Amino acid sequence: MDTFGLAVTSIRRRSVRAALTGLGVALGSGLLVALGTISSTADTNVINRLSHGGPVTAIRVAAAAPKPNQLDSDSFQSSDIHLLDDSSVATIRRSPYVSSVVPVMTSEAFAMPARGDSFFGMMIGIDLKQLDNLPITILAGRMPTPDSLTEVAVGSSYLDHLQLQPAQAPSVLGTEVELGAPRRDIGGHEGFRARWIRLTIVGVVAQQVADGDFIVPIKQTELARQWALGGAPDPDFPLLASQYTGLVVIASSLDQVHTVRTEISALGYATSAPEHLIATVQRYLQVVDIVLGGIGSVALLIAALNIATTLATAVHERRRDIGVLKAIGARDSDVLRWFLLEALMVGAVGGTIGSIAGVGVAEVLGLGVNNYLVAQGLGGVDLSTISPRIVLLGVLGSSLVALVAAAIPALLAARVPAREAVASE
Amino acid sequence: MATVPATRGEAVALHDLSHAYQSGPKSLIVLRSIELEIAAGDYVALTGPSGAGKTTLLSIIGGLETPTRGSVTVGAHEVGHLRGDALASFRRTNVGFVFQHFGLIDALTAVENVELALSLSGTGQKARRERAMRLLEAVGLAERASHLPRALSGGERQRVAIARATANLPGLILADEPTGNLDSDAGNRVLGILEDLRDQRGCTLIVVSHNPTVASRARIGYRLADGVLEPS
Repeated sequence: MDTFGLAVTSIRRRSVRAALTGLGVALGSGLLVALGTISSTADTNVINRLSHGGPVTAIRVAAAAPKPNQLDSDSFQSSDIHLLDDSSVATIRRSPYVSSVVPVMTSEAFAMPARGDSFFGMMIGIDLKQLDNLPITILAGRMPTPDSLTEVAVGSSYLDHLQLQPAQAPSVLGTEVELGAPRRDIGGHEGFRARWIRLTIVGVVAQQVADGDFIVPIKQTELARQWALGGAPDPDFPLLASQYTGLVVIASSLDQVHTVRTEISALGYATSAPEHLIATVQRYLQVVDIVLGGIGSVALLIAALNIATTLATAVHERRRDIGVLKAIGARDSDVLRWFLLEALMVGAVGGTIGSIAGVGVAEVLGLGVNNYLVAQGLGGVDLSTISPRIVLLGVLGSSLVALVAAAIPALLAARVPAREAVASE
Repeated sequence: MATVPATRGEAVALHDLSHAYQSGPKSLIVLRSIELEIAAGDYVALTGPSGAGKTTLLSIIGGLETPTRGSVTVGAHEVGHLRGDALASFRRTNVGFVFQHFGLIDALTAVENVELALSLSGTGQKARRERAMRLLEAVGLAERASHLPRALSGGERQRVAIARATANLPGLILADEPTGNLDSDAGNRVLGILEDLRDQRGCTLIVVSHNPTVASRARIGYRLADGVLEPS
């Protein structure tokens, strides 16, 4: 029977009181963890929403020169066309603050859906192997395979053309759409010839890569561009002259987004990134986090006071026991350790139960929110973002709070004089 | 009774020992210039009326209290000068206390109470359990080892307390009214155990009692009245 055993036995023999104290800790830590989890998940999802499902450090680059006020604005402030080619991409890639560059090539397309009216839209060609670096959220189905020339993902604008609601996105999967890439006739005619392709819709997406309706592998738009270049220049689509119509540049961190935009502006390209919006939203989210954290902390503080009160009562009740312990040779540090261990065990057990329960509550709430968002045709909440670190922090935090709360009662216990052993005699 | 390891008694010497309790501006003198020498291995009884200062004197000898004035020597230790861990170490290894109200930790079983003393002296888990069981066997309580104090009779509790007091082989056993809460049969058995321990191990035994019959069993008797110690 050492001080650890003594602490365990003391808890066991006063199990009801220990359980109630532990429950207080569990409630406090559970609330803190639940709020922390919800807050963290909400923050991530809000930021992701701002970045349209892509990396928050994504910067869109246009094949256009920037206006002088470009860096003051999140959106494109562009003037004349500035051709984008492989050499521009290579220059941007050399920046130490850039983690990747994804070229984007758009192409005009006359669309003939399987049902509904035909319309004039845009194909967006990208390297689909770099999907994780692109601001694209899959609403239904999947993306085309990277090398496919027969598959397409449509944007939500396609649903608008077909007068469908977002929730009806799955209904277009598996249907076909014919796309005609136009080539202006040579010889002064106002006519066009088209290169027709028939594609199967495999996915519906929300995307902010570029203005357009059809996401295809970049090979598809390269073929369309080569076809169009075989005809007369199209004054309505001057970007045809540029190898790429845009880029998606991923900065190495959120802090570097502005630096990268500055570098790209210096190269003479207009950029767009929600850096100011994200900074503003982050400030608001921080306030919300502080408020939620404050609520949880108050609950944990109440639990801490409960621990302190319980231990102070225990010290009062066990003065004779403490005196006897000292009479048989216990040091002050032995008594201190006894009470601290008792508090630590209550805090750790309560914290573990509370933290796990807190995550459970957050998961249930997240599931409800997820169902609502999906029903609204929006991207769901990613519950996998719940970090085990939050649970670990909950347990460690509760244990630490219990130790701090127990410090004064334990010190008082350690100072109980040995003569208390004979005080009642 | 099972055999117990032999030890060496501690001599006790008190010189010009006085003690007073402070209560606000008032000072209550409970011990006055006490001079006492007890040989190692001796058996001494302290008697006197309630409030005479017997328990205080015992507490000072055992290092539970620091005297207001004078010196207390137990073996080679100047007890009045010990502080902190040194004092705790003295109480742990040199003194065994037996209290009138047993002083058992209610939350621990009989064997755990005995183990506690061994644990404080750093005895390993297995060794202390074996030794605690041997000590309980020595006081005739091996079969009651797993009982909580509330499930034991007064005499049994006091025997557990004796087992605990002797766990670390102290040279001095201080028993404060060890039979005070016991009937005469149980009291006799408890005193018998203490006396046997002293005979076998040669430890010094000081028993405080207001019961003349108990006091008469000691080799030397002292009476404490109004803070003054006299041979009885």
